[in-house]
Amino acid sequence: MASAILDRELKKGSAELLILSLVEDRPRHGYEIAQLIDLRSHGTLHFNVASLYPLLYRLEKRGWIRGRWVEKAGQRRRRYYRLTSAGKRTLAAQRDGWREFVEAISRITGIQHA
Amino acid sequence: MPDFKEEIRKRLAALNLSATRENEIVEELSQHLEDQYEQAFRGAATEEEAYQAVLRDLNENDLLAPELKRIERRVPKNPVVVMGTERKTNMLGDLWQDLRYGLRMLVSNPGFTIVAVIALALGIGANSAIFSVVNTVLLKPLPYKDPDALVMVWEEATHLGFPFNTPSPANFIDWREQNTVFEGMAAMAQKSFNLTGAGEPERFDGRRVSADLFSLLGVEPVLGRSFWLEEDQPGARVVILSYGVWQRRFGADPTVIGRALNLNGESYTVIGVMPGSVDLPSIDHWHDQLWVPIAFTSEDAASRGNHYLEVIARLKPGITRKQAQAEMSTIAARLEKQYPAENTRIGATVQSLHEKVVGNIKPALLVLLGAVGFVLLIACANVANLLLARAAVRQKEIALRLALGASRSRLTRQFLAESVLLAAMGGACGLALSFVALNILKTFIPASISQAQAISMDGKVLIFTALVSLVTGLIFGLAPATQASNFNLNDTLKEGGRDSSASSRGNRIRNLLVISEVAVSFLLLIGAGLLINSFLHLLKLDPGYRADHLLTMKVVLSETKYPDKERRAPFFRELIRRVQNLPGVQSVAVASNLPLTYNGDSMPIGIEGRADPPPDQMPDVILRVVSPGYFSTMGIPLVQGRDFTEQDKPDAVRVAVISEKTARHFWPGESPIGKRFKPGLVTGDSPWREVVGVVKDVRQNDFVAEPKMQMYMAHEQVGSFAPNAVVVRTSVDPLSLGTAVRKTVWEIDKDQPVSDIRSMEEIVSEAVARQRFSMVLLGVFATLALVLAAVGIYGVMSYSVGQRTHEIGIRMALGAQRSDVLKMAVGQGLKLVLIGVAIGVVSAVVLTRVMASLLFGVSATDPVTFIAISLVLIGVALLASYIPALRAARIDPMVALRYQ
Repeated sequence: MASAILDRELKKGSAELLILSLVEDRPRHGYEIAQLIDLRSHGTLHFNVASLYPLLYRLEKRGWIRGRWVEKAGQRRRRYYRLTSAGKRTLAAQRDGWREFVEAISRITGIQHA
Repeated sequence: MPDFKEEIRKRLAALNLSATRENEIVEELSQHLEDQYEQAFRGAATEEEAYQAVLRDLNENDLLAPELKRIERRVPKNPVVVMGTERKTNMLGDLWQDLRYGLRMLVSNPGFTIVAVIALALGIGANSAIFSVVNTVLLKPLPYKDPDALVMVWEEATHLGFPFNTPSPANFIDWREQNTVFEGMAAMAQKSFNLTGAGEPERFDGRRVSADLFSLLGVEPVLGRSFWLEEDQPGARVVILSYGVWQRRFGADPTVIGRALNLNGESYTVIGVMPGSVDLPSIDHWHDQLWVPIAFTSEDAASRGNHYLEVIARLKPGITRKQAQAEMSTIAARLEKQYPAENTRIGATVQSLHEKVVGNIKPALLVLLGAVGFVLLIACANVANLLLARAAVRQKEIALRLALGASRSRLTRQFLAESVLLAAMGGACGLALSFVALNILKTFIPASISQAQAISMDGKVLIFTALVSLVTGLIFGLAPATQASNFNLNDTLKEGGRDSSASSRGNRIRNLLVISEVAVSFLLLIGAGLLINSFLHLLKLDPGYRADHLLTMKVVLSETKYPDKERRAPFFRELIRRVQNLPGVQSVAVASNLPLTYNGDSMPIGIEGRADPPPDQMPDVILRVVSPGYFSTMGIPLVQGRDFTEQDKPDAVRVAVISEKTARHFWPGESPIGKRFKPGLVTGDSPWREVVGVVKDVRQNDFVAEPKMQMYMAHEQVGSFAPNAVVVRTSVDPLSLGTAVRKTVWEIDKDQPVSDIRSMEEIVSEAVARQRFSMVLLGVFATLALVLAAVGIYGVMSYSVGQRTHEIGIRMALGAQRSDVLKMAVGQGLKLVLIGVAIGVVSAVVLTRVMASLLFGVSATDPVTFIAISLVLIGVALLASYIPALRAARIDPMVALRYQ
């Protein structure tokens, strides 16, 4: 179990990549994004309100994602975020960067991919 | 379910987000928390446990506010500033909004708007009208090719009183051959032509011109061709018609080219028609109707003492008028040495053609342009006053808008937009007004002014009007606008908008405006007063004859049919006999030229028994050749001796009558009767003439200038100066006899044309047309100024009395009498007027000097005019402040005290 500090630093570095990846296929709302991160990381990564939303707003401000209030029948209106074309380019670049980073770490630490 | 919204709001409070953004974040985040809560609850936690878990998550690391703070833009604390800064980015939209708002204000105050628009329309209209005249007469280039290079060249004989004298042919030919500064030089000489043999005989003003005149001017004929150089020879009989004659006499018939016309008994072939724009300058009131080649004979070409040409020249490219003048002076000096007898003290003067054409009306037009500018200033002051008064009424509105966060510059802009809108409306009405005014103006603009009839409004006038309107709007809008932006918000809101410091500042501006209105209208009135005074002096001038009940006309006998005095005399004797018998005729005479119709025919004279003075000291004496009865018919008093009689026949003693001035000059202190002189030099070969009478001086050439020396000879004793004019003294309206006299001429010889049938009074009136023109116009403008100023004073006084109603009530309640109130209110107005008059007097003393050239018989600082105008202005101002004062005095103290 990583220490709290490591957890935060890691999250900071990778959070943008995580969120952009999650809205790549279809628009999602904030709670859904948080749930998916929890679920897919098997609880290793956890975003709460205080960490998730400022991040979303920052990405939106940069023009990588765009939020829109959507009303669906029988549901409350929710804010869905989708990837913009600028976001797509960023995502691709960040993926490459992350891959290189992970590979470099692996080569040094000797950790092999599963 | 617990309410998370409040929890989130608490955490956002410090961020100062805009309300919309804050609500959005609260909604989004609370949903998230609710979802989380539900999930925890479903995971079998108790309500309290679930709630605590969600809160824990929210509070973890206390990150929300700091993180958001880095991202979200906050709303600045002072909302006023935001409006101001944001708005600056939208000037155009603001302008549009201002204009619409302004229009609504103007429409909702129709009384105010109408008064303001009328005042502005009068001011702007007067400006557009006068500018149209200035534009056409002064600014429009002459209708020739490269007109700036065209000049007139004159002989300069200032010592004889002729700074711009008509050159002699020999001098002209020498100038043309010796100069290197002109591309070309053309001469013109007036000549009248009698057209006979086709319908009614008609006399035309014509000119003999150098063959290259039209190519020098760069004018192409609209029909046919110009002269060929080889046609500039004696015997060439070709004629070019003016557009007017071609239209009127020949019905614009294009087949007129090649047709033969009988002019002065000789057959001329029409070769061309000039465009209507050709309007060559001339001495006297000569309007060219046709042109023939000047064709100097060898005798003409050698004549150096006969001065009758007008010379136009074109400067070579790159040569200035100064350089041309310098060379012409050199040439003239050379000719003076070469021909001392004729050319002593004769120089050469180069004058721009434009100056020659517009020179005599220019000062008047510039003064008028200044005058209308002043009228507009007064109109501006009036409208500014109205706006100020209204701004005072609108203080509450302004205060409210300032309190709601409008910036002062924004308010200023809006006030300016309103006034510019007002000015635009005034400008549009003014334009319509000036269109009407211009048509009236045309009817009494002096006909001698070139292009007088071409005066019209064009694009330049429109642009001028638009600019004037815009500037006007800015000028009169500035006062209320600055007042609005200077004004103290707190005071106004506290004091109910009355008696505040802002309104006392407003009063100060208003008083200043009244003072300047009075000063400016004083200036205009002085100008008009001086001109009216001059004109009265002119009318009181003794012309030397009685102009009333005199019918005049031109009968220029054909030179081929009546080549000498022997053949002319019987015609005129018969004419005089027959006209004498017409009912309504008192007497009739003929003369070579009547006063004010011709400037020529003057010569030096030699006195029997005296040596000739040096050439440059031989004074010119004007010669008129007349029939017996001329003096009594004209009403020229005989001072000494006798009139001509039927006995002064060719074979009798040659006699002459001279004017008093001539008598004084040549025979001072003795009677000239019986003395003998001859035209020209003593040594010349013309016969001696005996002085038989002395008559009063007549203003022959110029109505305004002092009369020159004159002599008269009997028409049957003079060969070379034929009578051209008939003058009839009538007991009835002179013009009613015109047809009868003309018929009489045609009964004697049906081929002799009769033209220029006018009364002598018309001729005099034309001679002072320029003076009358400026007098009438300046008079109209001054009256306008007086009315506007009176309205302005009235407005300010009404307003100030209205403002002081409360105070007046207190005074009356404390025992002031009506007369005290009246005195106080009138006194206040009078004070402003006196200050204005004082300023006006000082500026008038300085400014009326520019009018000196328009004045006659009065000095530019004529005390009588100054005093009279001051009294008029003070009287009008008193009246204008008396009416509101009277209203103030009638105030019921009880009502006034309640008045809030």
